[in-house]
Amino acid sequence: MIEVLRAGLCDLVMDVGRPGRRMLGVPAGGAADPAALAAANRLVGNDAAAAGLEIALSGPRLQFPQGGVAALTGARFAARRSSGAPVAWNETLVLAAGEVLSLDRPESGCRCWLALRGGLAVPSVMGSRSTFLPSGFGGHGGRALQAGDVLHCGVPANEMKLLRVSPPAGEAEGDLRVVAGPQAGQFDDVGLAAFFGTPYRVDAASDRRGVRLAGTPVSHRRAELPSQGVLPGSVQIPPDGQPIILGWDGPVTGGYPVIAGVITADVPRLAQLKPGDAVRFVTIEVEAACELAAAQWTFKELA
Amino acid sequence: MGKQTTGQPLVASNGWRWVGERGLRVETGAMTLAYYNLLISKNLTDVEDIIPADGSLLLILRRTARVSPEVRAALSAPLDVAQTAVKGKRHEIVVDYGGAAGPDLPALAKRAGMSVAAYIDCHAATEYTVAFLGFQPGFPYLQGLPPTLQAARRASPRQQVAAGSVAIGGRYTGIYPTGGPGGWHVIGRTDTVLFDPQRAAPALLMPGDRVCFVPA
Repeated sequence: MIEVLRAGLCDLVMDVGRPGRRMLGVPAGGAADPAALAAANRLVGNDAAAAGLEIALSGPRLQFPQGGVAALTGARFAARRSSGAPVAWNETLVLAAGEVLSLDRPESGCRCWLALRGGLAVPSVMGSRSTFLPSGFGGHGGRALQAGDVLHCGVPANEMKLLRVSPPAGEAEGDLRVVAGPQAGQFDDVGLAAFFGTPYRVDAASDRRGVRLAGTPVSHRRAELPSQGVLPGSVQIPPDGQPIILGWDGPVTGGYPVIAGVITADVPRLAQLKPGDAVRFVTIEVEAACELAAAQWTFKELA
Repeated sequence: MGKQTTGQPLVASNGWRWVGERGLRVETGAMTLAYYNLLISKNLTDVEDIIPADGSLLLILRRTARVSPEVRAALSAPLDVAQTAVKGKRHEIVVDYGGAAGPDLPALAKRAGMSVAAYIDCHAATEYTVAFLGFQPGFPYLQGLPPTLQAARRASPRQQVAAGSVAIGGRYTGIYPTGGPGGWHVIGRTDTVLFDPQRAAPALLMPGDRVCFVPA
């Protein structure tokens, strides 16, 4: 059980999402870095599909009246525990009854994931416990957490071990790697040179629907085309030429040309972008992108 | 006796286009729904999801999956003519046209050289077909909009379009299931609930369904 003493900027209940329903216009959603949430779940003995919290930019103050077992992965936030014990990332944390966990701001990056032993027992909606904010369903009443909310945990799936986990090496560095998109051929050399040759800044209007970028406009020949299927990481160029990287809760179809698609291995890096960050793009081949997508988190038992 | 086919494999020599390394965009033209149904019926294990859209499909591969021989075979299979007939349900949607519910109606009618009443009559006299759902959960792209009623999207999207708004966007008319930002011209509103995640069938209108609008 958790009591929310103070809500963060946007604390959302998330699990692996609801893939397979895009034909209804419903995006897969789910944790912006599903591997990070899965790792946190494993650290507390949950199945990978259990629901946890996705915390962005400014974290909550949470009380655990009966104590519990928790784990944090993703961006490291300034954090403290009322017991005075350290708040380690990427390892199992045992919380005493009545303990308060306070998360402040990220030291770098934007989002972290908090798993609790047993998983958050919110109702499953369309096969998932993930919050879908644009339509207000899933998660805790279809919304971000508020002060005074109480969340309960389910029954733990597996035995507990004290574990530490390491993310795949070299995850968070360098240019965002993309595969050329279905309409890349519609852009002239000037547009392509802008997109691949100049940096973009993450705009404040970014959220889980999309990362909006500002920089040299990407010129193109045709503003609108027949709506096509898109997925998280698809980079659309709207008429103003400022790229939008579609996010986890973005629409399943789009009418703007898609110049590129961020590779699966780099989509979790989108979760760590915050307003003002600089972004550059570099293309790689599909085959290389497939190999990079196979990178795994590694676990080690704590003595 | 062999099945009759169109003889046209889905993926011709030019193949598909990549959308990231998990998305395969294939051109399907007017046969989009038929191909969607054909591919879904094959239960392809490497495919997480398929999005039908405006003349194309997007196949989304599972993470780390490659384009398997099974997927290649499915994409090059010719379409069975019996599968091309997609017959959906017929719906009547009651619409409060114009006024506060349809702020863009006067300007659209004027641009079409019609009176507001004639524009409404024309919009409501047509039987539409749901081409696909997108933009929002349960948002139907309805095809069949008479050319005189068609209008390019608004130059600047509205910050807030009310749930139930009936709107015009290019060749399509559609209905916003949820309130939110939107760039289509709003001509009316319905009380019909288009999307409810708690229903067994969350989306009221499904691709292939037919829709008629009835003025309130």
